[in-house]
Amino acid sequence: MLVAPLLPDEPRRLAVLLNLNILDTPPEERFDRITRMAARLFHVPIALVSLIDADRQWFKSRVGIALPESPRRTSFCTHAMLQDGVFVVEDATIDLRFADNPTVVDEPHVRFYAGYPIAAPDGSKIGTLCVIDHTARHFSDDDRALLRDLAGMVAHEVAASELQRHLRQQSENDTWLRGLLDNAPDGVMMLDENGLVLSLNPAAEELFGCTSAELIGRPGRSLMVETIEGISEGLRQGRAVTADGNGRRPDGSTFPLEFSVRTMRLDGELRYAAIVRDIARRREAEQAIIARDIRRSKYLATATHELRTPMASVLGFSELLMKREFDAKTGAELVGIIHAQAGVLISVTNQLLDLARIEAGGKGALRIGTHTLADLFTQALAALEPLGQNHRIALSIDPAAAPVAADPQRLQLALVNLVGNALNYSDGDSPVAVDVTPAPYRGMAGVQVRVADQGIGMSAEQVARLYDAFYRAGAKPGVAGSGLGMAIFKEITDLHNATVDVDSALGRGTVVTLVLPAAQAETP
Amino acid sequence: MNPAILVVDDQSELRLLVRITLQPLGKIATAENAEQARAHIARVPTRLVVLDVWLGAGQSGIDFCRALKSDPATQDIKVILLSANGNQPDIDAGMAAGADAYIVKPYSPRDLLVKATQLLH
Repeated sequence: MLVAPLLPDEPRRLAVLLNLNILDTPPEERFDRITRMAARLFHVPIALVSLIDADRQWFKSRVGIALPESPRRTSFCTHAMLQDGVFVVEDATIDLRFADNPTVVDEPHVRFYAGYPIAAPDGSKIGTLCVIDHTARHFSDDDRALLRDLAGMVAHEVAASELQRHLRQQSENDTWLRGLLDNAPDGVMMLDENGLVLSLNPAAEELFGCTSAELIGRPGRSLMVETIEGISEGLRQGRAVTADGNGRRPDGSTFPLEFSVRTMRLDGELRYAAIVRDIARRREAEQAIIARDIRRSKYLATATHELRTPMASVLGFSELLMKREFDAKTGAELVGIIHAQAGVLISVTNQLLDLARIEAGGKGALRIGTHTLADLFTQALAALEPLGQNHRIALSIDPAAAPVAADPQRLQLALVNLVGNALNYSDGDSPVAVDVTPAPYRGMAGVQVRVADQGIGMSAEQVARLYDAFYRAGAKPGVAGSGLGMAIFKEITDLHNATVDVDSALGRGTVVTLVLPAAQAETP
Repeated sequence: MNPAILVVDDQSELRLLVRITLQPLGKIATAENAEQARAHIARVPTRLVVLDVWLGAGQSGIDFCRALKSDPATQDIKVILLSANGNQPDIDAGMAAGADAYIVKPYSPRDLLVKATQLLH
């Protein structure tokens, strides 16, 4: 028995067959129709679509044979597949190549065989269409032409199922892609070779506040406020170019935008794929961090300044006392200055620590409870007592003023700084009026604290710098202070979501109005 | 000889410190701010001004120094700037304004006395 040799491209042929995903699939009418036709047309009992696997032939369609497959070794079809035309064995019993083949000697008693190779779409041979009879036969040229045509129909069906599979896959991909684009949180846009908008997804529509129809055809460049340098250069180099700037909506409004764009080829056409994103929140956060860093480095720089000034007194006077002779009265005066300035050093240090603690802790470090302003002021006045000025404070608290949600220690510190400033920057006898009343807070219930002095007041420029750490408006000589008081006040009132209004004019005094949200009634 | 020294500082302790420090050179006048200093210089011939860079109420000793040095009537007056800012850019700004010396606080009274003595001779 002659065993058919392997085709030269056997591995590739097998891979193609496997990729068709046709082996071991259920019977299909479109193939069965052809084998039935072949059996009738040639008056044969057996007709097969046989696919040649690594070591078996598997029948995609079969007439007259019960087994779905048989060994490749004994297969006639393997021989037929080697040919380019029809392969015919008119009488296997007298053909030396097949006479002792088990399929000839035994079931299914092949005597006549005619087969034509079937090619996959890429030309690889994957099997045959064949007809088999139990008696010897002659196969005419007409028969050969007919078999070739039928085999062509089988090949066509193979190609069709391959195409269908592709289409199905494609449509699945399309659905998936469409779903992704429709639901992507970022805007996705495609621009043509002239930079005009071709298409965009819903997120991009939302970003620019209009429909696709309004945007398609507009130059992508018109959607940006700035002209970003270097985009074309980056695109020419095939890089993705990412930049941020400000987007411009067709209605003229603008918003912070980050985009990323890259060239692509779509069916040979030049296209730009762009992803756009609103970065308002990110930019806000970045700016808050920058502002905080600037504030911190200012604290640090000015802290050095404010510590060096009292240190100059301590160091200078102590050196003079050591090196020169002073009368008893002057000596005592100088020691008194050293002592007082050492006190200033401690107070600046303490306030710096307060500020650092408040800043570093943020809202998370607050120990919020429900407190009345009456309680808070009782403590604040006690803290102000050492100034010896409390007799100037005219405190009036409306009993209708609700309690507030506050960290008592911190809020009290803010009140001490506020009232302390009012005392320090006004004349020795003038009153400082403190009024606590109910007031609306952003449409809800709130409590207003109004502190009014009749002191030196501030210019608009001084008011603008009021919360700068170490900025001291004080034209009043001899006012001791670290310059940190209002910075601390500001940090604490911000943490309590309070609104603060400053009304001041030089020579007229200052009125600071603070409104805190009322504490929400606790549900029992 | 009248040394004609003027100390300008918004803080009384620091005015006193400079006054006592420079006492060996004679009697010393003081001013709390730029206006007082200008008025004094217009009235009293002055040879040295010891000037705080920070005069309070938004006034700058650097500006005052520059004004002195750019006016032919006062440009020969020596100026020592006193400042709590010891960074090189601050020192450069002071010298660029025409100061003859820049002393960083806290300072040793002896150093200030030595510098003032040098500038007056």
